[in-house]
Amino acid sequence: MRASPAALAALLALAAAEAASPERAPDAVPAGLRHEVAQLRLERELSTGKGFYLRLDAGRKRLALMLQGVTLDEYEARGFELGVPEVLFVDRRPRRGWDTEAISKGRLDPERQRDRIEVVAPAPAPSGAQPAGGATPAPPPVPKSAEETVSVPSPYRIVFAEGVSVEVRSSGVGRNRSWLRRQADALGLRLSDLGSALGLGTRDRVRLRVTLAAEEAAALYRSLPPDVGLIVVGLPPS
Amino acid sequence: MSAGAETPTSAPAGPPKRAVPHTPTTVAVAFGRFVLAELRVRLAALWARRRVRAALVGVVFLLLAFLGTGWDFAAATPQVAPGAAVKSATREAVRLAGERERLQTALERRVPRGPWIVIDQTHNRLRLMRGDETLLEAPCSAGSGMVLKEGAKGRVWVFDTPRGRFEVLSKTENPVWKKPDWAFVEEGEPIPKDPADRLEYGSLGEYALYFGNGYMIHGTLYERLLGRPVSHGCIRLGKDPLRELYRQVPLGTPVYIY
Repeated sequence: MRASPAALAALLALAAAEAASPERAPDAVPAGLRHEVAQLRLERELSTGKGFYLRLDAGRKRLALMLQGVTLDEYEARGFELGVPEVLFVDRRPRRGWDTEAISKGRLDPERQRDRIEVVAPAPAPSGAQPAGGATPAPPPVPKSAEETVSVPSPYRIVFAEGVSVEVRSSGVGRNRSWLRRQADALGLRLSDLGSALGLGTRDRVRLRVTLAAEEAAALYRSLPPDVGLIVVGLPPS
Repeated sequence: MSAGAETPTSAPAGPPKRAVPHTPTTVAVAFGRFVLAELRVRLAALWARRRVRAALVGVVFLLLAFLGTGWDFAAATPQVAPGAAVKSATREAVRLAGERERLQTALERRVPRGPWIVIDQTHNRLRLMRGDETLLEAPCSAGSGMVLKEGAKGRVWVFDTPRGRFEVLSKTENPVWKKPDWAFVEEGEPIPKDPADRLEYGSLGEYALYFGNGYMIHGTLYERLLGRPVSHGCIRLGKDPLRELYRQVPLGTPVYIY
């Protein structure tokens, strides 16, 4: 039996319509929506956990320290850049959907030092008598405030286990340093970047550079809890 | 040779050439030309050597590698209109839009409806919040981080304030402090056997809000030290903010410490 050209054309049109049918075409769903829902799922997961996490909002240019869905502190980003390692002018793009996966165990680099005061208690005196030494023990020294004890480097990084890091830069810092010192610092940074791009030391896949006001960058460095998580929202799907 | 006859010269026919005067500029130009010519000759001699050629190519490659290796940063372009209405009417799109709405609602519900307390133990600040509004902000004193070692028994206490989410479990007016062992050890006093000897009146101020594991928000006798980390782990607060906090905070209020 031979099919007529008209019947063939009708059959082809039907097949094309079927292929384009919304029920059978998952790609008809906007990629942005799929991405947004994946991020919301991740954020919901973070908000039901017990750990602290940072929420970096690319749209609002805000970096927030959060716990269980509650914003504890918020920092206004003056600049926000997305960086990928580049070897011989070739970018190594991160895996698709890296920002919809859990990013955890953030730690400061360089690490924050904390000097604890150690006090050895005097031996107890028999009841009714003065403590050993004949006088009341001297009051323990008053610990210094965080501003007095913790010096903040610029830039510093928050390095996460999944190969993502946040580089925090303080705007306006270093202007009072000499030209030679600034060049030396820049060269040091450049060499460090070269090493990390080549996979020496830390194996970062994505680096988010955030520029904060100097006081805010310092406050974040001093108060960042250990093992912090991260979620980056507001970026277009990769 | 006849007298008066002109002596023939070797100069070519034509107009006589004028001598160039030796000015500093001409001398400099001539010297420059000489140096350039000399440099060209020497570089050509160097380039003729294979090792030098290889080294130069290597240096250029390394320079390019240095310039082209590192991190490539670009300003992050935010997603266009997140949360926008979905125009696609596919079944999957509708399902995802519904899920997005549910997730957003669930996230909004994580924020307490009533008041909540945030304590920044690094900068020793306490804030009482309701939604986005700050109802109260005051300096406080969090744990000093000091380590106390007991000589004889070798017990060790670390005076840190815990981090995390807690709740106000009880509220007390005129609280009485039941001194723990470390309070006696620190003072060099023997640990009393009678529990009544552990009670101390007035040192916790007018009010205390207990949030678990022996930790409280309470008053202090040393208001001049507020803003510094001097406590044994509790949160010390000045008289007036403590009164305000006690008045505004019901039982079950979340306390977030970071």
